[in-house]
Amino acid sequence: MSKEVYGIVAKVFSISESDVNDSSSPENIESWDSFNGLILVDELESHYNIKFTISEITNVKNVADIKKHLKNHNVELNE
Amino acid sequence: MEKKLSEYLSLAKNINISKNEKKIKVGILGSFTLNGLDECLKVKCSEQNIDYESYIGNYNQYNQEILNSESGLYKFEPDITFLIIDNRTILGDLFHNPYSVSDKKRREIVDEKFGEIKNLIEIFQEKLNKKLVICNFHIPYFSSIGIIENKSDFGFHEMINELNKKLVNFVKVKNSIFIFDYNQFVVKHGEKNVFNYKQFFLGDIKIAFDYIPFFANDLIGYIKPILGLNKKCIVLDLDNTLWGGIVGEDGFDGIELGHSSNGKAFVEFQKQLLSLWQQGIILAINSKNNLDDAIKVIKEHPDMILREKHFASIKINWNDKAQNLVDISEEINIGFNSMVFFDDDKLNQERIRNEFPEVLTIDLPKDPSQYTEILTDLNDFNVLQNTEEDSKRGEMYAQQRQRNQFKETVSNLEQFLNQLEIKVKIKKSNEFTIPRISQLTLKTNQFNLTTRRYQEEDIKKFVNDGNYLVGCAQVTDKFGDNGITGAFIVKKENNIWTLDTFLLSCRVMGRGVEDAILSHIIDDAKRNNVKEVKAEFIHTAKNKPAENFLKDFGFIKQENYWNYKLNNDVEYPNHLEMEVE
Repeated sequence: MSKEVYGIVAKVFSISESDVNDSSSPENIESWDSFNGLILVDELESHYNIKFTISEITNVKNVADIKKHLKNHNVELNE
Repeated sequence: MEKKLSEYLSLAKNINISKNEKKIKVGILGSFTLNGLDECLKVKCSEQNIDYESYIGNYNQYNQEILNSESGLYKFEPDITFLIIDNRTILGDLFHNPYSVSDKKRREIVDEKFGEIKNLIEIFQEKLNKKLVICNFHIPYFSSIGIIENKSDFGFHEMINELNKKLVNFVKVKNSIFIFDYNQFVVKHGEKNVFNYKQFFLGDIKIAFDYIPFFANDLIGYIKPILGLNKKCIVLDLDNTLWGGIVGEDGFDGIELGHSSNGKAFVEFQKQLLSLWQQGIILAINSKNNLDDAIKVIKEHPDMILREKHFASIKINWNDKAQNLVDISEEINIGFNSMVFFDDDKLNQERIRNEFPEVLTIDLPKDPSQYTEILTDLNDFNVLQNTEEDSKRGEMYAQQRQRNQFKETVSNLEQFLNQLEIKVKIKKSNEFTIPRISQLTLKTNQFNLTTRRYQEEDIKKFVNDGNYLVGCAQVTDKFGDNGITGAFIVKKENNIWTLDTFLLSCRVMGRGVEDAILSHIIDDAKRNNVKEVKAEFIHTAKNKPAENFLKDFGFIKQENYWNYKLNNDVEYPNHLEMEVE
């Protein structure tokens, strides 16, 4: 369900879903500031009904990291 | 259902400043991260057709913004400023270890903290003559001494309580300063929801994302009355709205009201409506029913809380509900934008929503147990000041019904006016009348020559300025006191008097009161050897009733102004009595 994650990322940062991939990061998405980053955390947590730890949140460098943490929380991502 | 913060963030991107008639400039000063609040306010204002502009103080810079006269806040000159300081910021270390010092010291610290805030308020007032809303402080559920917290002398909870009390007492007499009961806000939603440790650690966020929209909604409760957008009248259906079941089918004894669980829900809803009525909210009925069946319930049902006397207008018939709403609006002279419509029937809701989008139509669910909460969650009935006229409004509308009945018994208007025993008392502007004068300028749409809207602070400015004359008129008649229902502001310049504002509440329109007040002003001008009296008529969508007033009074149009020849004798309508304070 990579696509689903991309969709959430796209919505939070107000960009097109096709512009999101695993290497998307604050470096290449302009609206990915610290506040919107936290909004993304909030959206993912409520969507998948999970709670990230603070370390997971602060360690995220790009979308691939988000997917990795989601898998740690047993979220099925059918690639 | 409240939307999520993320939704507000994306909605806010598509809002451009448009040309709405209503505009508000908001300042936000906070001691912690309040990102998202601005967007929520913007969207919520746009939903009310308000143009929203804001100034957001830098993170935790509220002291600098207020103390420095050159600050961005003062340059922006917001109509209303929200000062949001949290309990951790104000108490510092003492938030965690209040018992490390003596109770005497704790008292001193509370005095000192109160002094700091008092100073901020006073400086703000000195530098900016606009409204300020300060959040009070939340009392956390936790205390390090646990269950004996309230046995300690001036304990942790009492400290915050005392600080809040001092704030309230200080602000009580200040008309343009308000306290937002943030403690109650947290109580309403729950501390464990509003304060999210993770968000706090990650970004110094002290109101969790999910609750920012609710917080914004409560703050909008201050903006609506500033712009005169508060609701004044609740229009109610009967069957399944004020009682359960259909009286025409189930009968007087068959409806659900009191006793049963559903019946209790309707009683509770009615009690809440009654308490709003006591605050001056007008109630009206719009119901498809046999009049006899329904009126019998209202008059005789032992568990009915609302009775005939509580309703300013009663439309129980088989007419179209939209037409009934028009009739109610005309009967009590209240615009659709001041109305809230409660009806359990989805089709009726749809009908009114389509026909009158300016009416606040409530999406009433099937389950009556939710009715009371829906009513108490509305932030549309707020006023910034309760004038005497507000709390007496219910009574006044009952008198108005009597007047109308009386009008039907006399043969012509002249006779009606003669027998009404109208008295007009011209009053000066003072601390008692200024709030009402401001309120009249904000709310009066129909008989209003210029429709200039003035906040209390503006009126005070006029009063203190020797070049202005500000007054108002109280109107009584044999049925009772209409309260202060007319107001005027006259600009005195180079021996010329210009009517900046001249208005009359629709409640007393068409009884010669407007002529009496204007005659008084003209008289006054003559006595002061004024050369000329000028007036303006600024046309709006709603002030047609005042359109011909100046012409009929004897003013002559000269370019943009209307002029009155002061060599004419001043005539007062002879059916009323005048008194000048």
